Amino acid sequence: MLDAAREAGTHVRAGVADARAALLAWVDAAGDAGRIFLEANLRRSGDGLYAVRHHRDLGLAADALDIVSADPFRARKIAQTTAAGEHRPLKTAPNLRRGWLLHGLSGAGLWTTLDYLYPACAVHWYAASRGVLRVTDWPETAARQSGMYGAVGLLSPEGVRDAVAACCDDSVCLRRVAWGTGETPAAVDAAAAPSGSVPCPEACSLFISLARKALALERSPRSLIPGLGELGPKEVGQLREIVGAAAAGTLSAVREGDFAEPANRRRMRLLAQRLERAAPPAAASSIFPCEGCPRPVRCAGCPIP
Amino acid sequence: MQALIIVGHGSHLNAESSAPVFQHAEAIRARGFFHEVRECFWKEEPSMREIFDLVEADEVYVVPLFISEGYFTEEVIPRELGLDGPAPSTTQRGRKIIHYCGPIGTHRLMTRMILQRAEESAGLSDEQARETGLIVIGHGTERNAKSADAIYRVAEEARELGVFGSVETGFLDQPPEVDEVLAAMPQRRVVLVPFFVAEGWHTQETIPDDLGINRPADSALSELDGRTIFYAAPVGTFPEITEIVLERTREAGAAIPEADPALEAEYA
Repeated sequence: MLDAAREAGTHVRAGVADARAALLAWVDAAGDAGRIFLEANLRRSGDGLYAVRHHRDLGLAADALDIVSADPFRARKIAQTTAAGEHRPLKTAPNLRRGWLLHGLSGAGLWTTLDYLYPACAVHWYAASRGVLRVTDWPETAARQSGMYGAVGLLSPEGVRDAVAACCDDSVCLRRVAWGTGETPAAVDAAAAPSGSVPCPEACSLFISLARKALALERSPRSLIPGLGELGPKEVGQLREIVGAAAAGTLSAVREGDFAEPANRRRMRLLAQRLERAAPPAAASSIFPCEGCPRPVRCAGCPIP
Repeated sequence: MQALIIVGHGSHLNAESSAPVFQHAEAIRARGFFHEVRECFWKEEPSMREIFDLVEADEVYVVPLFISEGYFTEEVIPRELGLDGPAPSTTQRGRKIIHYCGPIGTHRLMTRMILQRAEESAGLSDEQARETGLIVIGHGTERNAKSADAIYRVAEEARELGVFGSVETGFLDQPPEVDEVLAAMPQRRVVLVPFFVAEGWHTQETIPDDLGINRPADSALSELDGRTIFYAAPVGTFPEITEIVLERTREAGAAIPEADPALEAEYA
């Protein structure tokens, strides 16, 4: 596409100034209530300046907050860690911490704040609203990878779908997947999207890393485990570790990018996908009157209901 | 208008990895030489794939905050940013001209900077430094010989300058290993400089633990077998790296003031 070759951005036509103007107009039009953008509330104050805070902090007085600042660059450290102090490699994970207010911001200051709270989200939001967001579908992203990620393109379509469900659902990332998995075209409908929703134009590095893990699981021989479906030894091992840790009361939060850990949220979601797919058919299909009992005929006084 | 983009590796696991990128970006932003100073990463956000969605300036300088030339600077970064080739290269895209500069670790000012920082942070006079050993510690890997080359070169230059009594290289993943090099050092005082971009698992835990010295979180100073060991911060976190980033853009034609003559004299 000649047009695309001339453009400077990867996913949007060079138009940061237009995006900024549109964002400010969108916030201005909302009046005192402001707008919710992902987990942030953006509001124009009476003095023509802007204020940004966590949308769940709206009712809090300034003296109840940990950080009150007029420096938009403070947004970087706010966005860097969760309330528990964990690193946030993905800024659109729904774990933006609370307890801060950035105020007295100019339009440029509001833009900078969003740049650090939610990198690239405002330009992608604007491009999608105009129907000009350019997406990169998974096959292209996968084909570009090299080194330790060079094989991710071998992940099956079903594996890619599971990884998307595990990595990109609203409960773990607030962007909407706008890129296609290769089977179906990208499913983004700008008109149907809520006004503050932000599209994801291309699989991120966290997804690529999870896809690599999913491929390793997919490639290790799986066998049918009654009631659980087809699982490989690593998946069974993961299940055992999770249940063991939960039973011991030691199942604790794992860093969201740590895919080496069995109890990593996205890895558990990946496993949950497989288990859900393998949900056993209704018991009626069993040839035995007592599920699990080897005797073909029910014995007198059988304890199994 | 001109923009600077500092590219870092970043991490899915810890914040220390990207910290030097933000540190030098902030320092350069304060100077006001560039209309925009941006950070982007391989493993964090904004990603290299998104950064050109955000940059407004037409004249763009890209400096990788990496320690050596190799897989990342020659393959991954040009590919992800859509550049025409490895550094030094210039890519024209629409109205934008993108100048891709070499990594910080191979810059000619690096050796002087390490020597000065090693002396200063260990609190050594020039005379004391001459009786002190210096070990430049690298990760090393068999996959990328260039990673070690940058360290050998720095060590050789440092040896020629004669600031320290002796200068050696030690590695984590290839011979010679750091602990053996340290054991063979004749001096009673040794400064260790990790040739790493950022603090992380290796600099904070594996290196000090393997050597039996204090972790940096506890103390930079250790007594080991009757010797005094000073363990410096990783080179990427040195404030002087800001100057090297600027110097990279200057070499690529950025319109910024000449370097402070005193600085040039100090390092030249």
